[in-house]
Amino acid sequence: MTAPVSDRGRKAARLGLGLLLLAMALVAIALLSLTTGARAIPAETVWGALTAYDPASTEHRIIQDLRLPRTIVGLLVGAALGLAGAVLQGATRNPLADPSILGINAGAALAVVLGVAFFGMTQLSTYVWLAFIGAGAAMLVVYAVASLGREGATPVKLALAGAAITAVLQSIINAILLTSPRTLDEVRFWQVGSLAGRSIDIVFQVAPFLALGAVLALATARLLDGLSMGDDVARALGQRIGLSRGLAGLAAVILAGAATAAAGPIAFVGLTVPHVARAVTGPGYRWILPYSMVMAPILLLGADVVGRVISPPGEVQVGIVTAFIGAPFFIALVRRRKLAAL
Amino acid sequence: MFRISALALCLLAGTALPSFAQAWSYTGGDGETVTLDAVPTRIIAHQDAAAGLIPLGIRPVGIYADSPIEAAKALEGLDLTGIEIVGTAWSEVDIEKVAALDPDLIIGEWWDRNGAWSGGADVEAALAPLAPLTGVAASDSIVGMIEEYEELAASLGADLDDLAIARSKADFEAARAGFQAATAAKPDLKAVAVYAGADAIYFADPAGAAELLDLRSWGLDLISPEGVDAAGNNYFETVSWENADKYPADLILVDNRSASTLQTALAQPTWTLNPGAAAGQVTDWPAFWLRNYAAYAGELEKLTAAINAADPDLAP
Amino acid sequence: MSIALDTSRISRARSRAAARRHAVAGGLAAALVLGFAAALYLGDYPVPLDGVIRSLFSPLTGLTDRGIDFIVLQVRLPRAILALLSGAAFALAGIIFQTLLRNPLASPDIIGIAHGASAAAVFSIIILGWSGLSVSLGAFGGAVLTALAIYLLAWRNGVTAYRVVLIGIGMAAMLAAIISYLFTRARLNEVQQAMAWLVGSLNASRPGDIVVLGGAMLVLVPAMIALLRGLDAMELGDDTARALGARVEINRLGLMLVAVGFAAFATAAVGPVGFVAFVSGPLARALLKGAGRGFLHASLVGALVMLVSDLLAQHLLPNTQLPVGVVTGACGALFLLWLLMASGRSGRVN
Repeated sequence: MTAPVSDRGRKAARLGLGLLLLAMALVAIALLSLTTGARAIPAETVWGALTAYDPASTEHRIIQDLRLPRTIVGLLVGAALGLAGAVLQGATRNPLADPSILGINAGAALAVVLGVAFFGMTQLSTYVWLAFIGAGAAMLVVYAVASLGREGATPVKLALAGAAITAVLQSIINAILLTSPRTLDEVRFWQVGSLAGRSIDIVFQVAPFLALGAVLALATARLLDGLSMGDDVARALGQRIGLSRGLAGLAAVILAGAATAAAGPIAFVGLTVPHVARAVTGPGYRWILPYSMVMAPILLLGADVVGRVISPPGEVQVGIVTAFIGAPFFIALVRRRKLAAL
Repeated sequence: MFRISALALCLLAGTALPSFAQAWSYTGGDGETVTLDAVPTRIIAHQDAAAGLIPLGIRPVGIYADSPIEAAKALEGLDLTGIEIVGTAWSEVDIEKVAALDPDLIIGEWWDRNGAWSGGADVEAALAPLAPLTGVAASDSIVGMIEEYEELAASLGADLDDLAIARSKADFEAARAGFQAATAAKPDLKAVAVYAGADAIYFADPAGAAELLDLRSWGLDLISPEGVDAAGNNYFETVSWENADKYPADLILVDNRSASTLQTALAQPTWTLNPGAAAGQVTDWPAFWLRNYAAYAGELEKLTAAINAADPDLAP
Repeated sequence: MSIALDTSRISRARSRAAARRHAVAGGLAAALVLGFAAALYLGDYPVPLDGVIRSLFSPLTGLTDRGIDFIVLQVRLPRAILALLSGAAFALAGIIFQTLLRNPLASPDIIGIAHGASAAAVFSIIILGWSGLSVSLGAFGGAVLTALAIYLLAWRNGVTAYRVVLIGIGMAAMLAAIISYLFTRARLNEVQQAMAWLVGSLNASRPGDIVVLGGAMLVLVPAMIALLRGLDAMELGDDTARALGARVEINRLGLMLVAVGFAAFATAAVGPVGFVAFVSGPLARALLKGAGRGFLHASLVGALVMLVSDLLAQHLLPNTQLPVGVVTGACGALFLLWLLMASGRSGRVN
């Protein structure tokens, strides 16, 4: 932001090139995701499964039924979480803001737990709608509570309301899980966050929401830049604070809700990727948002690939690996650089 | 009011005073012997112990369960009227309700593998001041455990020659004979027991499940997975759904503690990679919960029917 | 405007603030006494009011009734005392971290210390097959080691609040992943046992826990009060505080150690009971309306939240006893939400 005007173009070119390189890395990771798994399948067989599908071949079935859907889900969910995290941190100006802090994960989890415990729903495809509705409802309540009072939804009130709603929801979840081992047994696997077992139907269910959310999120970049100057400055510049926060919140809930619906609650990605993106791009959401959107699926899919091969013959869920790859990296980054405060 | 405190007084005093007549004594699965002045009548039982004792005519005054009663598979079909439920979650028990019931004896199950009584150490610590705790040990045969429950019930005054008890034992013997005949008729039939999760398929090691060891001893060729998962106390091998055909079998037994496990299995695209699953040769695995002859007979009949209907030449 | 008028206005404001502090403290203390009495009286084992009183004085009077004495003196009393002590300890841990790190989200249950205790406890339950006291020791070690790791990782020519918070949540994510992993690899019964521990319960209130936690607080509370003087300077901001030199850094480190001690001892005694640490500080400050830092008041709020939550957990649902941690979240959070809705100004809830 302090760079002289003459440097702006050079900076944009540099950041654009960086984004292109990241996109290429993402394509490479996606290809790796298709060719890597608990079962060794040669690359030409993978190609064959994509171009000339033979339902009689076990290998082709594994590519088409398992690896392709989980790769697509990984790309979509990763992008959504990265964007949602960046938008939420910008809108609340709190470095700790992420879907789990603002009640979205807990809302989704409670809806799934209620569905399993009282309506006998046990299949991933039914979880999707439940999780989406739960996430949306929780975020709405958080926003409504935070908006009460003269000042409207200030960052501190949003964060506190989110944490409070999360605690209420988590209490109900715990009460149900403690008294219904059957539900605990079902939900403990969903709660880790995983890309395994996601069918192509789930992609079709969540893709429209993710597209809508992504467009909305990218469109809020200028508003977030305004908010980052502080409410008073932004208001003085003629920005409508409440409307900006509302739009950003809407984008975040659509993205995070759909992502959680598809993959379960994955806490780490949305929280940390925006910090990494900000460390590369500097302030300015015009670049932070697209960087987060590309970096997050690299982390998510990369973690998923590692999880598939790390403990044969089983797999480690992606939610666990992202934390184990991401956290040390994140900690090192926090130590090395003076991260910009929000 | 007076009655309750007077009884409690006797109870608490009873543990301190020397006993004159050793009217009842039992050596539990943990190797400790419990000795009481009189045959205990007010018993608080863990759900699994209750499932072993109630069919033998020993009715506890209270049951502590690991879950809400309707979800406790072991208690399915048993008449629980008049029995107070003093716990509905693992490691939680309502100490005041237990105290108000004036128990003479607590009966749980000893898990040598974990070195703990059923319900966990918290339950043990909470109940210990109120009455002595004993019970049979979880072992490597359900039949063996049922026989230990018979011995315990007899010491508590059960009449094992009762017509209904004898009949359910005879039903079980008939079901077991039928099962043995079915496995003998199909010596090549290979079976494997699984739990299905959305993330992975879990192949059970029969060495960790008493009922699977029983079935194997009665002629069922059950596959033992090669690498069991040490983190899960060696009960299962966790396998990616990409390798659902790692242990091809003619008959697949699916954990039936919850009906949703089978639904989860059926929803996986690669479930049918395993030949038994592709041919629909799938039946129930009564995992870890059998404690009496009546329930065992019912599960054996299902298994026998599945074996009789199965094609034994699918798996290589 | 004359100076005399000004000072009299200031002194009037001061005395108003003092009155408010005393009123809030008095109200909270009264509520605590009521809650404590209810905790001794209510229960499934019928004990009349005079029975409770006779039991409490039985060590002096010698009038005993062993059935009632067992329930009152060995079940209800230790449970209520442990609720008070652990609630106060969680609250102090929370308000110290929130104040030092200047972020209302930065309580030990969010920045990783509770996660360290939890991961160690779940590991000792599921992998090592431990239970009871050894799990508590494991949890204590986990909390202290995690706090140490966060501090060392955040150290770079001193620590900044921002770095501690971010590294804390990084550690929290990793530790939460360990817990999730263990949950998917264990038998359901062990998961249930671990889950019950994670929620936090007063059910297994052992006299030993009270002695250890009470003893720790006898050391930690005076240490906290001594260190709090330095905190005033720190609240002005890092830059101002830095100008005051190394003494502040030592104060800060000392206070963090005290807060870790509160969190670790309380967690070892009752498990990582959720939200008490998070909510007590903001609640106390909201009640005070700017009339003080609220450390004492926060500890009263924490004890009250814990005590009331345990009463609700035991008696709210017929035939179902829930562990206290299920209710603290809901109870504390509803209170906080009410405050958020009632207060027009966000600054008050901070």
